[in-house]
Amino acid sequence: MLRASRRVFDALTSLKLTIVCLVLLMVLVVACTLAQVRLGAFGAVNAYIRSFFVYWNVPGTESAIPVFPGGGLVGLALTANLIAAQLKRLDLSFRKLGLWIVHLGLIVLFVGEFVTGFFQVETQLAIEEGKTVDYVESTRERELAVIDTTDADHDEVYAIPEALLVPDKYIEVPGTPLFIKVGAFYPNSEMARRGPSDPPAQATMGIGTGINVIEAASVSGDDQSDQKAAFVEPFAGPKSYGVWLVSDALGAPQSFIHEGRTYSLSLRRRREYLPFAMTLKRFQHDVYPGTDIPKNFSSLVHLSRPSTGEARDVLIYMNQPLRYAGKAFYQASFGKNDTLSILQVVENPGWLLPYASCLLVAGGLLLHFALGLRRSAARQKAAALEA
Amino acid sequence: MRIPKLIPWAAAIVAVAFAATALLPAARTRGFDLDRFSRLPVLEGGRVKPLDSVARNSLLLIRSQQAFTWQGRTVGADEWLLDVLFRPEIADVQPVFFINDPEVLGLIGLRQTSDRYFPFRDLEASLDRIQQQAAAAREIDSKQRTRFQGAIVNLFDRIYLYYRLQNTLQMKTGPGQDDLAQLAAFRPLPPAARARPDGWRGVGEALRAGPMDPGVEQLARIGDAWVKQDPILFNVGVASFETLIQAESTGAASHARYEVLFNRLAPFYAGMVIYLLALLVLFASFLWKRDVLQPAAFGLLAAGAFVHTLGLASRIALQGRPPVTNLYSSAVFVGWVTVVAGIFLERMYRRGIGTAVAAAVGFSSLIVAHHLRGDGDTMEMMRAVLDSNFWLATHVVTITIGYSGTFLAGALAIGYALRRQLVPRPDPATTKALVSMTYGVVCFALFFSFVGTVLGGIWADQSWGRFWGWDPKENGALLIVLWNALLLHARWGGYVREKGLMAMAIFGNVITSLSWFGVNMLGVGLHSYGFMEGAVWSLSGFVASQLGIMALSLLPQQFGKPHPASAELAGK
Repeated sequence: MLRASRRVFDALTSLKLTIVCLVLLMVLVVACTLAQVRLGAFGAVNAYIRSFFVYWNVPGTESAIPVFPGGGLVGLALTANLIAAQLKRLDLSFRKLGLWIVHLGLIVLFVGEFVTGFFQVETQLAIEEGKTVDYVESTRERELAVIDTTDADHDEVYAIPEALLVPDKYIEVPGTPLFIKVGAFYPNSEMARRGPSDPPAQATMGIGTGINVIEAASVSGDDQSDQKAAFVEPFAGPKSYGVWLVSDALGAPQSFIHEGRTYSLSLRRRREYLPFAMTLKRFQHDVYPGTDIPKNFSSLVHLSRPSTGEARDVLIYMNQPLRYAGKAFYQASFGKNDTLSILQVVENPGWLLPYASCLLVAGGLLLHFALGLRRSAARQKAAALEA
Repeated sequence: MRIPKLIPWAAAIVAVAFAATALLPAARTRGFDLDRFSRLPVLEGGRVKPLDSVARNSLLLIRSQQAFTWQGRTVGADEWLLDVLFRPEIADVQPVFFINDPEVLGLIGLRQTSDRYFPFRDLEASLDRIQQQAAAAREIDSKQRTRFQGAIVNLFDRIYLYYRLQNTLQMKTGPGQDDLAQLAAFRPLPPAARARPDGWRGVGEALRAGPMDPGVEQLARIGDAWVKQDPILFNVGVASFETLIQAESTGAASHARYEVLFNRLAPFYAGMVIYLLALLVLFASFLWKRDVLQPAAFGLLAAGAFVHTLGLASRIALQGRPPVTNLYSSAVFVGWVTVVAGIFLERMYRRGIGTAVAAAVGFSSLIVAHHLRGDGDTMEMMRAVLDSNFWLATHVVTITIGYSGTFLAGALAIGYALRRQLVPRPDPATTKALVSMTYGVVCFALFFSFVGTVLGGIWADQSWGRFWGWDPKENGALLIVLWNALLLHARWGGYVREKGLMAMAIFGNVITSLSWFGVNMLGVGLHSYGFMEGAVWSLSGFVASQLGIMALSLLPQQFGKPHPASAELAGK
């Protein structure tokens, strides 16, 4: 038993494992790069890097079998190898100090990548000039928003995340007498005006009665996004309000009235409300004179947070994000004839780790190679003296 | 000083003097002071540059050359530009459009001949057809276009550039200031003394603004003199226009003068020639008069490095940017770093190896750069996200030094492989020196490629909101880091020895070339601004050659020669 664990420890600390891991990592990186042409960056990274195994879909079946270790597994093995090897060869001499620092820096880098993989949340904030927005939106996830719009001065929003929209499930809308029955959910869809030859519409109410919805395969390109759709049926007790089609492709929300209260239904990008609001004062898109080469994009926003009384203007531009309340806001895109600014919003608790890692590894390598160079120079000198 | 000490100096001075002859002002062409004309600053592509640069870059785009022969004499870019601007009837019959695609020629109704240059006049009748086909081809993504579609879009772009040049100072077909303002290829009128420095105006804008601008009048005089082919009036007109510009904006005029010198010297071309000479002299030294030729080769290398450095420094000064701003300049910089490192290695080891690899890599990288410059101006403006001198100076420079290091190690290893096969009894001390140089350079490369890669991540964190996005270019950089780390660990663990180390170092060339150029050919990701077409074959050829040399490095020593024992047997 002891011998077995000794063998495992030896294997874990061996340089062979390091080399195998480095080779596997290179293979994964190459595969991930090539796969981006087909899958887009998000899909390729999820398949090869942010996974513990790379799966192969057996043609003609639904099943997938793991065929290669994924980035997560290789990264873990490499981290374990690194730590174990350092502990085994516990050589605290000055000669090895550089390597110690380098490997510590690498561990920090790997930890940073794991933290990013598990905890980073990317959302967007789109504001038109003069408008105020107090929420960020997910670009991939949707939510079913049931909004009580009865009161003129405020709306009551009940949001049901996309993950709960499972066919034939009943979902209670808390705080209202309503519950929703999900008829169908399409991760991606194509829609067309219903023609005479189309099958009868699934929707019995709203705009969906005139639309034919066909399920489509999810898209993966970086500049494409799925057009999700669902059929939902609101109930109040036994009373049905009909089957409605909801989709982010449909414009205006659709509404029905229950006991004098108006409820609207819409499938929209999942929102996260912020404790502060941003107003876009001006968006600027500069070009070099006499060309259409962009020189700079910038958004002048007014940030206001009633709870703390904070109110100030911020200029967000290329390479100059706003870091605020644990989130970073970047100038990402624009639209509507330069009146709409789109900010990329990133929340990553580990964002500082790579900075630390860079300093550690660079310093460590410098120290290690400097020491090596000094030794080699001394050797050359000695050899010259001998000769 | 002893004579041998003078050899490298003498070689270097001769080479530099030879390069410097290009700086001498050209003789007047038929009495016209084209030299002064070519120094006039204008605003084009977002920056102020001399007309000389506009002329050279445009002719390079249209004809792929900076001068051509017409009616038995050489027409330079500046003279050609004058004809394009003022004498369309002459310019239109000069054969400047390079057309090689048989299908495009067929469309125009021309037959493929040995002379592949055609005048605008030959294309005029088919303009509608070209425009139609080009518009249709443009609908297709540039990577999916067929050869014909690519060629027709390219031809249309060149015709359009020519058309814009012709309508910059005067309308080719009748008056119309609005069209003039819209079509103008460059803006020749400097902003008034205290106006915004980038407020240059075109002739169309100046005419629209109301009272006759004195500059417009001067330009009209110059044009008139050129049409009448009156050198005296022309020279007076150009001189007074120059005075006018100097009064408004002194900086622009001296900047333009400097750039004309830079254009004439063509330092990267001169450097390329000198490196080639150094390499040839070094090869000759293996056969003859080693103690004279080897120092001479080193002197030539140093001269090449001097001219190369001068060019690099001028680019930095002219553009106001760190050395690497696009693929072209990355090739120039990779060569420069390698040459400088090679000079250090030569000073340390003095075996001719440093000179050989530095000259070889310097020469090849400048050739690569020469072929990358086809897009016209190599000092174009930086797109918004790249407009950051801090990151260009840190991330881009370090990562490019990392490329250089990996290439240098690869070049040393190639030298090792060739030497093992070609030299009958290689001396062990030189072999040892080669191995330790390669090892040291790999360490150097690992440091710079790691730091460069992580700095790139930090820049990405600053501008896109994520440290690492597994973007193809980032992955390419990571592969270089991983490969160098793998090489060093394999060596430390004793899994590879001398031969294995060298073979791995050669493979480093493959990885670096793929991550430098190959990932740009995928056409995906955020770094695709460096996209290039048509280089796939050259890159594949390079990769194949490296794999071949790798195989060679793993073969037994002197593999091609018959074994002495078997030769003896054959003799009996």
